[in-house]
Amino acid sequence: MLENYLPIIVFIFLGIAFGVGLTLVGYLLGPSKPDEEKNSQFECGFPAFEDSRMHFNVRYYLVAILFILFDLEVAFFIPWAVVQSKLGWFGFIGMSVFLLLLVVGFIFEWKKGALEWE
Amino acid sequence: MMDYQFNTADLFFALPELFMIAAIALILLLDLFVSERFQNLTYYLTQSTLAITGYFAFNLIGESAVIFDGTYVLDTIGSYFKVFMMVFSIVALVYSRHYLRAHNLLKGEYFILSLLSVLGMMVMVSAHSMLTIYLGLEIMSLSLYTLIAIARDRAVAVEAALKYFVLGAIASGLLLYGMSMIYGITGSLDIGQIAAFATGANLNSEQVLILNFGLVFLVIGIAFKFGAVPFHMWVPDVYQGAPTSVTMFLSTVPKFAATAMLVRLLIDGLGGLQAYWADLFIILAILSIGLGSLVALMQTNIKRLLAYSTISHIGFILLGFITGVVEGYGAATFYVLAYVLMSLTAFGIIIALNKQGFEADQIVDFRGLSKHSPWFALLMLFVMLSMAGVPPFIGFYSKLFILQQVVSAGYIYLAVAAVVFAVISAYYYLQIIKTMYFDDAEKEITVTAPLDMRIILSINGALILVLGLMPSYWMELAISLF
Amino acid sequence: MWQGFVDFVYQYVPWFDGGLAVVLIILIKGVALILPLIIMMAYMTYAERKVIGYMQLRIGPNRVGPIGLLQPFADVFKLMFKEIIFPTKANVYLFVLAPILAFVPAIAIWAVIPLGQDFYITNLDISLLYVLAIGSVGIYGIILAGWASNSKYPLLGALRSASLLVSYEIVVGFVAVTVVMAASSVNLNEIVSSQSGGIWNWYWIPLFPMMIVFWISALAETNRAPFDVVEGESEIMGGTHVEYSGMCFALFFMAEYINMIMMAALAVLMFFGGWHSPFEGVPYLQEFFAFVPDIMWLLGKMSFFLFLYLWIRATFPRYRYDQIMRLCWKVFLPLTIAWIMVVALMTQLHLGPWF
Repeated sequence: MLENYLPIIVFIFLGIAFGVGLTLVGYLLGPSKPDEEKNSQFECGFPAFEDSRMHFNVRYYLVAILFILFDLEVAFFIPWAVVQSKLGWFGFIGMSVFLLLLVVGFIFEWKKGALEWE
Repeated sequence: MMDYQFNTADLFFALPELFMIAAIALILLLDLFVSERFQNLTYYLTQSTLAITGYFAFNLIGESAVIFDGTYVLDTIGSYFKVFMMVFSIVALVYSRHYLRAHNLLKGEYFILSLLSVLGMMVMVSAHSMLTIYLGLEIMSLSLYTLIAIARDRAVAVEAALKYFVLGAIASGLLLYGMSMIYGITGSLDIGQIAAFATGANLNSEQVLILNFGLVFLVIGIAFKFGAVPFHMWVPDVYQGAPTSVTMFLSTVPKFAATAMLVRLLIDGLGGLQAYWADLFIILAILSIGLGSLVALMQTNIKRLLAYSTISHIGFILLGFITGVVEGYGAATFYVLAYVLMSLTAFGIIIALNKQGFEADQIVDFRGLSKHSPWFALLMLFVMLSMAGVPPFIGFYSKLFILQQVVSAGYIYLAVAAVVFAVISAYYYLQIIKTMYFDDAEKEITVTAPLDMRIILSINGALILVLGLMPSYWMELAISLF
Repeated sequence: MWQGFVDFVYQYVPWFDGGLAVVLIILIKGVALILPLIIMMAYMTYAERKVIGYMQLRIGPNRVGPIGLLQPFADVFKLMFKEIIFPTKANVYLFVLAPILAFVPAIAIWAVIPLGQDFYITNLDISLLYVLAIGSVGIYGIILAGWASNSKYPLLGALRSASLLVSYEIVVGFVAVTVVMAASSVNLNEIVSSQSGGIWNWYWIPLFPMMIVFWISALAETNRAPFDVVEGESEIMGGTHVEYSGMCFALFFMAEYINMIMMAALAVLMFFGGWHSPFEGVPYLQEFFAFVPDIMWLLGKMSFFLFLYLWIRATFPRYRYDQIMRLCWKVFLPLTIAWIMVVALMTQLHLGPWF
């Protein structure tokens, strides 16, 4: 059982090895001639006016919060989905109630404009 | 694998909660789709939901059952608490409406969040597993945090909400930690099985040590929810910063839930360790009474003053649990009832003084109230005398019952200290009475509260006197709950 | 064969015992999978330029090698010899970590993808969950890149990218739920096995809307046109990649293309019967095609989806950001939620031959 997970660790290490290796190859083979203009941050041809860590739209937070909600929902759904054919109507009704409450929340956020990007 | 057979009959015993959650979902949708013209619909639906839920809970009084695989319990104390919570929530929302209208906060979300927090409290009251307690606690707390922040353009309200949220999260964490310790040693989340373990005769000293370790964290969590010293830091700031209607709600109905949590965890669950947690409660109680009485002397903001007064009342409630006898628990429950009545009236009168765009939250706002509105001044007089513990008001008897039990349990020094602090605290209650009756108003006071609020507020204030004249029925009822 | 190899080595190197051998075998298998994958990815870029070239009546790359076949290698060597620029204001450690963090999950996913009946690195019981879980780790790479660059366009690109990816991840998750419901398993091998028996038994018929939703979400998840606002050149100059050069950029690029191949594979596994021949159960064709190894069927179906990427890119104009988000939250999400209920109902009522 658990030995099935060994390849995953090996693959993660392989990925790290490939990633680090390729970066190293590029670092060793490539030239290194830093100069002030080249190493400055990218702008449209003039020095930056303001700090690049700027304010951004609060909607990104909103998406993040909604994502957590719905992703958890998916996490609750998957175990049910595996056995739902065996659970019969009890499982169906139980999950329908769960889904219904979430749909109520979904309608709420929709009507409140949480999903609008003008 | 544990075998659990779902029993449809169980649903009947959870009818109040099930009805409430269905109603919340419905009201949430209706509030979205109904046009501005029927703005009051949400309010009336909320009130009827509370009333019907209360009716269901009332009908279930006397039934008792452990349902949903031992996670949920229906018993007399739970049903009575639910009925009380519904009644006081209805009253609180009647008062709130005036405040919300005066400050342009009248939104559907306010009522829905109130309902959700009440639902959380109901779950807490009926919980029979530590997990269910935590679930109810979080439903309640998260709704309350949001309610406080509903005045989102008011910096103090947002600050209060954030402070409450952060400290509440820490308290929840500590509570969970305690629960995990208890679970680790007893091997069960079920309150009944924890009780069986904790009262078992053959506990060795290590097991008692670990139980005590968990117990300390549970007591911290409970003390935080009550706002007992030294876990009271959030109380003054939140009471002051939150919109007054939320402060009122926060200071009344959740106290029942906190009491229920205490009863479920410490009496039903760890009753076998009463001697241990009573020691902790002595410290909490005496500190709360002392600090609440002394610091309140210096307040100029009436909400902050009432916050400290709440802390000292909490101290008295905790005193009742120290005794370890049924009469003591009953006295504490009676005190909760009395406190909620007084607090509702006090905040109701503060709210009544609010008008469009005017926030009444200073003591000076009460100047000359007796001339302009003698009836409200009289009600406030009732509340203040009752809180100070002057006979024949309900506040006197609630304190008396507690002190009787404390003395008969042998803690005479505690009773003496409590009386001394109560006398000190009488000073600031009388200060408010002096402000109302002997100071002249700087500006015209007009009370614009609507009729329904005036009527209920009058009944509410009168009850402080009436129940004070005949406290024995309620006291016996409170004792019979345990 | 592996056992023979192990025995052979063990004869000469006594300390080479069981545990180490297992790890070594997995390592060899892994390299044997990853190297062709990277070559496949390299030729994917070649195919992209060639196909789009022909679609736009151009020839595409044709200088390096016969008909430009060595072009990918030229690109790789060019990138290798380019300078890796570290912007002065950037946070160097995070700046270097970000491309690796994007690349590792793209590789790690392949540990569970079954390429044939008995052709997989490992057979996890939760392989679909693993794919979803580790697939979302790649987002960290993009966010980190945007933050570490300390520059305006990467930050904007990272924000857009993160919210786009998480939004479509929900949709992919819901689609996966419907597939799991149909197959009653989260094991990719079992999901494929339950689709055996010819083209009629594949899930694209009962879950047809989900298949469409999945494929469109896959385009968004891999930042492909028409959802490539993340690196939309005309708006934010290439998004998170602005400050990256040389091999650091190449890692992002490779991660993106490997993810594309992975999404194509996932689409085949979930909706198009994986390695199963479409002619199973058909009297004459079944025998006629019996000689084709199962991995060929998988690769053939994947090629179609890979071609679809290019076809779509050459055909559709780019969406606006608000349109993409609306499509996700207001169209796909309700649709998938509704379809979950449909599938559940069909299962309970025993409707249709598939459940």
